[in-house]
Amino acid sequence: MSAAATMMLRTASKRCFMQAARLNTPSFTTSRMFSMKFLDSHEYIKVDGDIATVGISDHAQGQLGEVVYVEIPEIDEEVEKGDSFTNVESVKAASDVYAPVSGTIVEVNEDLDSSPEILNDDPEGKGWIAKIKMSDPSELDSDDLMDEEAYKKFLEESS
Amino acid sequence: MLRYSSISSTFRKLQRGMKCIRLHTNDAINHHHHHSTKPKVSYLDLQNSGLSAIERLCLEEALLRHDPLNRSWAIVGTHEPTEQMHLHNEDGKIRDNNSCLIILGIGGKPELLLDVDKVKKDNVLTVKRFSGGGTVVIDRNSLWTTFIGRTEDFPNVDPYPRSIMSWSANEIFDKVFQNMKYDTIHKSGKVLKKTMVVDAKSCGTAQDSGKTITYIANDDSSAGVDIPDFRLEENDYILGDRKMGGNAQAIVKGGWLHHTSFLFDYEDENMGYLTLPNKRPEYRGDRSHDDFLVKLKSVYGSDPDDDSAKRAFFYHVKCAAFDSFEMEEVLLKDAMKVVDNLGGMQAWFDGKCRTKVVDFE
Repeated sequence: MSAAATMMLRTASKRCFMQAARLNTPSFTTSRMFSMKFLDSHEYIKVDGDIATVGISDHAQGQLGEVVYVEIPEIDEEVEKGDSFTNVESVKAASDVYAPVSGTIVEVNEDLDSSPEILNDDPEGKGWIAKIKMSDPSELDSDDLMDEEAYKKFLEESS
Repeated sequence: MLRYSSISSTFRKLQRGMKCIRLHTNDAINHHHHHSTKPKVSYLDLQNSGLSAIERLCLEEALLRHDPLNRSWAIVGTHEPTEQMHLHNEDGKIRDNNSCLIILGIGGKPELLLDVDKVKKDNVLTVKRFSGGGTVVIDRNSLWTTFIGRTEDFPNVDPYPRSIMSWSANEIFDKVFQNMKYDTIHKSGKVLKKTMVVDAKSCGTAQDSGKTITYIANDDSSAGVDIPDFRLEENDYILGDRKMGGNAQAIVKGGWLHHTSFLFDYEDENMGYLTLPNKRPEYRGDRSHDDFLVKLKSVYGSDPDDDSAKRAFFYHVKCAAFDSFEMEEVLLKDAMKVVDNLGGMQAWFDGKCRTKVVDFE
């Protein structure tokens, strides 16, 4: 094999190797740029790989009023898309929180037990409720999940 | 003297501009306003049903979450605190105590809300219910009302706490307590009668024009009867400045539940199981339970007896409901089919039902 051909082969191999390495990292296993999405029941979902972070929207916390209690879900609990998996209590009302996707709860926000007000202060950041390892990532493409623009429009039309 | 045939129409017209005592006739219950925008609601009367308080909570949650017909409901009744019709205590968890039942909201922490030592010593059955809200002590003198609203039936009620509270106060209980007030004034005999000349342009018919009629005004200060008015204050139903009922809600996809336990009467010593909660409404201040609560019996009386007075309360709730809803009365056995579909009351209670007995051990 000529030196030029060898060089070309090495370059091509290196490119393939780097691409293979990139494709096999977790962030590309379910590769997508996933911004926040919302259900019409006002839960949000943020995805990183196969982990979905779930909470309630800023609109929801404003409507509920002062949150006084958040039921912390159980780790390893299996949830089905559309099922209620926990609830948030505000003054007089216990409001169900629904799973936007199916999977297993792998992490919960324990801070909400002692400081439920975090959910009012920063619902879409530090006020997250649970992280779900998705069992069916294709559920992310379902029609009931709205992007931020569509959710904003939904709120305007509902008011 | 008014002719009977003109009473109802004349009083309806008078009510528009003046406050009058509302006469309750059979027409008030049986006359359905055939108005297409009225929500359809199933009405369930649990007075003398035999259901315990816990069983009622189980039934309510089942109707909210699992009614295959997705109905809206209005449910009224009283209950023996702990005498179970369906639930048995084979595992020893459901204890018999016929004095009262303590019911915490779903997030209630017994150690913060109760004198736990006293509760344990007196062996008082304590449960957490599926709805939010505070702690109530229930006995056979507690009057319950529950409304389950589906958003498709109540499009103008946002499924959020404040909206639901406002709706319940404005649409139902303002009417109920106004009519209870009028009834009490009327029964006291201390009524202020006034006369007026009928003007056919504003009231009455042409043939009544020029006639002098006598009507009863609710000018209670003149009548010497002092009955505090009902209003919604923060999240409480109050009479004057005192609370007379505990409210709680549960909100699910497509609907909501709002239930209230009213204090017709209670044993003062039972309030001793409750501590002063850390989170209190502003209007309460630091008042103890005795200074903060009021018994409906002490405001409206119990003439001729307690049972009649309780029935009168539910009568007024039913009237208000018939005014606001397109009602269909349902029997308990039909409502219980929803629970039967879940495996029966015991299976539902032991399983996914969120009302649970608090174990102090």
